Amino acid sequence: MKNWQKIAEAYDLRIPDSDIERITPSLDTLELAFRPLTKRIPDDVEPAITFRILAESGE
Amino acid sequence: MTLLEAAQALRRRAVSSVELTEASLKRIGELNPRLNAMMTTMEESARTQAQAADRELAQGADRGPLHGVPIAVKDVFETRGVRTTCGSVIFLHHIPDRDAAVVERLAAAGAVLVGKAGMHELAYGITSNNPHFGTIRNPRDPERIPGGSSGGSGAAVASEMVFMAMGSDTGGSIRIPASFCGTVGLKPTSGRVSRYGVMPLDFSLDHMGPLTRSVRDAAVTLQAIAGFDPRDETSSQEPVGNYLPEQGCPIRELRIGVPQNFYFERLDPDVDMAVRRMLATAESLGACILPVRVPDIEAVNAVGRVILLAEASALTEKYIGNRDQFGSDVLALLDQGRLLPATDYVNAQRLRRMMQRDFAHLWSQVDCLFTPTTPMAAPKIGEKTAQLGDFVEDVRLAATRLVRGINVLGLPAISIPCGRDRLGLPVGLQIVGRPFDEALILRVAAALEDATG
Repeated sequence: MKNWQKIAEAYDLRIPDSDIERITPSLDTLELAFRPLTKRIPDDVEPAITFRILAESGE
Repeated sequence: MTLLEAAQALRRRAVSSVELTEASLKRIGELNPRLNAMMTTMEESARTQAQAADRELAQGADRGPLHGVPIAVKDVFETRGVRTTCGSVIFLHHIPDRDAAVVERLAAAGAVLVGKAGMHELAYGITSNNPHFGTIRNPRDPERIPGGSSGGSGAAVASEMVFMAMGSDTGGSIRIPASFCGTVGLKPTSGRVSRYGVMPLDFSLDHMGPLTRSVRDAAVTLQAIAGFDPRDETSSQEPVGNYLPEQGCPIRELRIGVPQNFYFERLDPDVDMAVRRMLATAESLGACILPVRVPDIEAVNAVGRVILLAEASALTEKYIGNRDQFGSDVLALLDQGRLLPATDYVNAQRLRRMMQRDFAHLWSQVDCLFTPTTPMAAPKIGEKTAQLGDFVEDVRLAATRLVRGINVLGLPAISIPCGRDRLGLPVGLQIVGRPFDEALILRVAAALEDATG
């Protein structure tokens, strides 16, 4: 499992250790459920959020 | 009395809008000290709006069924000149200079806004046990939660303080309180109702919809608030349908899908039984009940959690330096979101697109899906886990398990009461439809409501 405490330190998130401990089980559970899904994404799938530029926004 | 019954009484001159509004304010005054459903009451402006509605109706200027009817909106909808807190001390003194699009449309329909309903802090939770503004209680049993995050809206409608209250739904926040409080709760398709002027929890999962005491009340509210709004980038230009089901609306030969995987697993047996009774009712009305297998909803839920955690944390990043401003449950979620890598967020949005495509195949087999809304009835305030048959599950995860994925997929869904558990607490049935087919799920829900009283 990921070391969430070290990740928080690396990002300088300033989350107290006790709070990291509290959320670790939830993050670990999500990691187990989510990580395998990422391996089945075909390269050509774009994210569901897309940037739209409108003609009238051009200067 | 339902909203439509009140509308009919107004037109018969059996009651005036002023009388309905005074009754609403009186009931809030009597019940709110115990239930804490309403955050702000707007007596003066409500009385002025009610007087105007009476004048207009007397002159024959009828704006439709909401005209003159007392309603509330969740304290996430901005109201010009009226404090809008989002259930957070961060916005304790936030007085917007604009109305949310939904508030504008309700005003144009002549509704009388009597106040702002309380909610879970930042709309980020399902208990509505708000550490800053107090615990909101369930009118069916005040020792239990009303659900959330639109808990005040659910409690206000169930306790008959108002005829309709608007809620917002990011991962079940309309349908969960509807299920726990025994009301109707409608989450429309993504883009159907404008998000303009709604304080966001999330960019891509938030939906706005009504909680009401009848299906047709939800339909007429949707009729008033649906439609394109250029101020909301996600707003759809799909034409608005006719949502009000006629009396005796038929559902004969309609294909109702019953998921054989996921949705009927880990349920309180009373919930399972109540939903299956409703299926039998639908069958007795001539609907075809078809077993179906749905795509992997556990995976959809995981994707939804990544998206919500990342987006909600991004939105609150500028406030997180002062950790004392947040309740402990919300802070825990915000911290989780800050620890996710950006690649996970992007991949979650890519998976979301794949899942939407997978789910779309289902609509060639069925017209709608029936599922329980929540796997259990309302838990007691402070309860951390729920006993679901042989399983014990975290209350928050259990309450969102059957509803969260529908936000990820952007589909319309309605929760209607479908009986009670062994303690007499309400149980909710969720009906999920095709994109922009709110008319169909409202028709099915109305037919069931007509059949079961």
